[in-house]
Amino acid sequence: MGKSILVVDDSESIREVVSFTLENAGHRVMKAVDGQDALNFLDGAEVDLIITDLHMPNMDGIALIKEVRCSVHYKFTPILFLTTESQNEKKLQAKEAGATGWIVKPFVPEKLLAAISKVVR
Amino acid sequence: MDQFRTKFFEEAFDLILDLERSLLLLEEDSDNSSHIEQVFRAMHTIKGNSAMFGFTHIDRFTHDLETIYDQVRGGDLKITSKLLTTTLEAVDHLKRLLNEGDDVSNETLEVSALITDKINAFTAEDACDIELQKGLYTISNDVSAYKSGMVSTFFIHFKPDANIFKSGTNPLFLVDEICHLGRSITYPEMGNLPELQQLEVDTCYLAWNILLSTSQDINALYDVFIFVEGSCELEIVQIAEADLMADDGFVRYVTRMYNDRKSFDLAGLQQFGRALCHPEVGAEGIKSGRSKSGSRDQGIASIRVSTDKIDVLMNLVSELVTIQARLSLFAEQSLLPELENISENMDKISRKLRDTAFSICLIPLDSVLTRFHRLVRDISTELGKEVEFITEGTDTELDKTMIENLVDPILHILRNSLDHGIESPSERQSRGKSEQGTIRLKAFYSGVHVHIQISDDGGGIDPERVREKAVQAGIVGEDEQLNRQELLNLIFLPGFSTAASVTDLSGRGVGMDVVKRKINEVRGEVEIDSVLGKGTTVTIKLPLTLSIIDGLLVMIDDTLFVVPLSVVDTIFAVSHSDLKSYNQLVVLDGKQIPYVYLRDLFSDNANPEDREQVVVVSYSDSSVALVVDRVVGEYQAVLKPLGKAFKNMDIVSGATILGDGTIALVLDTGRIIRQAVEK
Repeated sequence: MGKSILVVDDSESIREVVSFTLENAGHRVMKAVDGQDALNFLDGAEVDLIITDLHMPNMDGIALIKEVRCSVHYKFTPILFLTTESQNEKKLQAKEAGATGWIVKPFVPEKLLAAISKVVR
Repeated sequence: MDQFRTKFFEEAFDLILDLERSLLLLEEDSDNSSHIEQVFRAMHTIKGNSAMFGFTHIDRFTHDLETIYDQVRGGDLKITSKLLTTTLEAVDHLKRLLNEGDDVSNETLEVSALITDKINAFTAEDACDIELQKGLYTISNDVSAYKSGMVSTFFIHFKPDANIFKSGTNPLFLVDEICHLGRSITYPEMGNLPELQQLEVDTCYLAWNILLSTSQDINALYDVFIFVEGSCELEIVQIAEADLMADDGFVRYVTRMYNDRKSFDLAGLQQFGRALCHPEVGAEGIKSGRSKSGSRDQGIASIRVSTDKIDVLMNLVSELVTIQARLSLFAEQSLLPELENISENMDKISRKLRDTAFSICLIPLDSVLTRFHRLVRDISTELGKEVEFITEGTDTELDKTMIENLVDPILHILRNSLDHGIESPSERQSRGKSEQGTIRLKAFYSGVHVHIQISDDGGGIDPERVREKAVQAGIVGEDEQLNRQELLNLIFLPGFSTAASVTDLSGRGVGMDVVKRKINEVRGEVEIDSVLGKGTTVTIKLPLTLSIIDGLLVMIDDTLFVVPLSVVDTIFAVSHSDLKSYNQLVVLDGKQIPYVYLRDLFSDNANPEDREQVVVVSYSDSSVALVVDRVVGEYQAVLKPLGKAFKNMDIVSGATILGDGTIALVLDTGRIIRQAVEK
C-alpha cells in the first residue's frame, strides 16, 4: 500500500532523489521547499508521513515540526527528519519538538525505505 | 542516478555563488548572523548533497569548513579576515573539485589536504571528528557485516513513554519489526491500562516483553528502537547463544513464569538458557530450571477425587451459571459500561469453568468395559458357545452418571445377544457361518449424541414370531397391520419375550422394556434392527451432556422456550403466508423443509404474528424447521427437572431459570419432531 508522503527540503536535488526513491517503492510524493511552504501545503491535505530537512531558509525543520504538532490534523502524523547531522544534540532537539525519527544523509534507498517502514505501514 | 547528478552540479554551483556573496557581505559586517547562517546552510547543503551523490572527497572537504562555521554560528569563533580569506580559497577549491567531478586528480587532492590543514588550524577538535564521521559511514553502509550464522536468544523489554504517540510513533510497528527478525513470543504488559472512562486515547499504557531468537547481533536489535531511544524504557539482554525458542520446554517455562508472576526473572531465563546450551556444565541448572516446569508435566497425571465432590462442584457451577444470567441481565439494564465489562468477563470465565467441570465428569467407556468382557466370557462358556467380543471406540467419553445408568442395560442387551442371538456352534455350522460368533460393541459421536451400538451375527429376530407372541400376549390384535420396524419395536413393550424356553439369564420378559426405560431415564433412546439369519443390532443414542446446555431462547406467544443450540442449524424469518399448511413444508434457501408449528403445541392463541421465525434443527440426517414467534438470543441453560406432574411431558426435557427469575421450558426437539411425524 503506497502512502502519501510530503518531502520538505530546500535542495531540489535532494527532493528529487528522495521522491524518486519513494515513488519507485510505490508511494505518492508531494514536495515543499521549506517549512513555510510545507505548512501552506499541509493545510488540511491528507498526508501519511512527512520527511523534512533540518536546515532550511524561512522556516527550518524544527520549527516546522513544532508547528505541525500543534495542528489537530497532524498531531500524530509521523515526521522523519533528513539530516547530515550525526550529533545527538540536534536529534534530541528534534525529538523534543515531536519528530518521530531521523534519516542520516547520505542514505541508500534501502535505508530510507527501512526507516519509513518503521513509522508507517 | 545520472539525471540527479546533473542537477546536483547545477545546484552546487548556485550554492557556491550564494556562499561567495555571503562571505563577501560578511567581510563588511562580520557580526551579521543571517549572513553567517546562510554561509553555514550553503556549506551544509553542499556537504550533504555531495555525500548523497557519492563525492566523498567533496563531502569530507566541506565538512571541515562547515565545522568551523558551526562554531562561528554558535559564537565560539570570531570571523576574522584571515578566516574569510581561507574560506574563499576553500570555496575556489570547491569549484575545482566540482569541475573535476569523478576524475579527481591526485594533485587536486593534495591541494585539498593542504587547505584542510589550513582550515584545521582554526579549530582543534576536527581530527577526532573526522574519525567519528568515517566510523559512522562504515556502520551505516555495512549492515551485512553484522550478520552471522549464529542464532542467539534475546530478552527484550520495551516500555514506551506514555506520550510516545505525540511524536507520531506507533510502538506496535517496532514490536512487529523485532518479531520479524526471528522466532519470537511476545508477552504484552497491560497492567497499567486504566478503566475505559479514564482511558486517554493519546497515551500509551502498554509495554512488551519479547523473547526472540535471531541470527542478528544485539546492535541490530537496538537499531530497531533507534527512533525511540530516550523516549522509552528499553532493555535487551542476550539470554543464550542458542535458539531457545526451538525448545518446547523453554517456551513452557517462560509462559508459566509469565502467567504466574506477570514478570520475568532474567537470571532464571539465563540459567535455563545456559543449562540448555551446555548440559554438562549446567546440569544443575536444568534440574532447578525444570523442576518448576517439569515436575507438573511428568509427575502425577491424575488424582482421584470422590464423586461426591464432583457432584458438589457441578451443582455450584450450575448455580454460578444461573446467577451469572442474572448479573448479565442486570448489567445490561443498568447501562454502566464498566459493569457490563465485568459481567462479560464473568460470563466468559463461567463458560470455561462449566466446560472444564463437565470434562471432569466425563469418563471413557473403557472404565466399565471389563464387566462386559467378563460377562461375555462367562456366559459363552456356560452356554457352550464360542463368541468373540470386539469393542470399538471405547475411548468415547460420557458423563459418569450416564455411564452408571448404562451398565445394566448394556449387560442386558449382551445377555440377550448371547442367549437368543448367537447360535450354538453346530447350528452355526449348518447355516454356513463360522463356528465362532461375534458380538461387536461400538461407541461413537454423532452430532450431539453418543451412539453405542451392540451387534451380533446371530440368528436375528423373526418379525412373524414377534407378531405371534404379541398376539398371544394380547398386545396387538390378530389383524393389525404392522411393518417390520413396528413389529421389532414390540420387543420393548413390557411383558414380552420370544425365547422358547425361559433360561436363568434372560427371557423372563422383563428384559428389553427395562432397558428402554433405563435409557429413557438418562434422556437416551434405543433402537433395534434385525435381519433374520444375519444378526441383530441394538443402538443406544445418548445426549452428550446432562445438566447445563447452550441454548437458543425463543418466544412463542409471550412464553420463552429454550432450544438446545447444538442442534440448531440456521435461523430464518418468514411471513406466515409462506408456511404451506397442507403439506407442512416451507421453502428456505430454495430447499423444501418440513416444519413443526410450535404454536400448535404450546399456545391456545390462534392469532399468529405476520412475521415469524424459523429455527432449522438437525434431526437424524435431515433438517426440520421449528416455527416460533421470534428468536430472543443465546442462553446458557441450567436444566432443572420438572417434577412428577410433568413426567409424561416428554417433548420437554426440563426447565431453566432465566436471569429475571422467569422459567423457560427446554424443548427436546428430537421428540417434538418424532411426535409430529407420528401424527
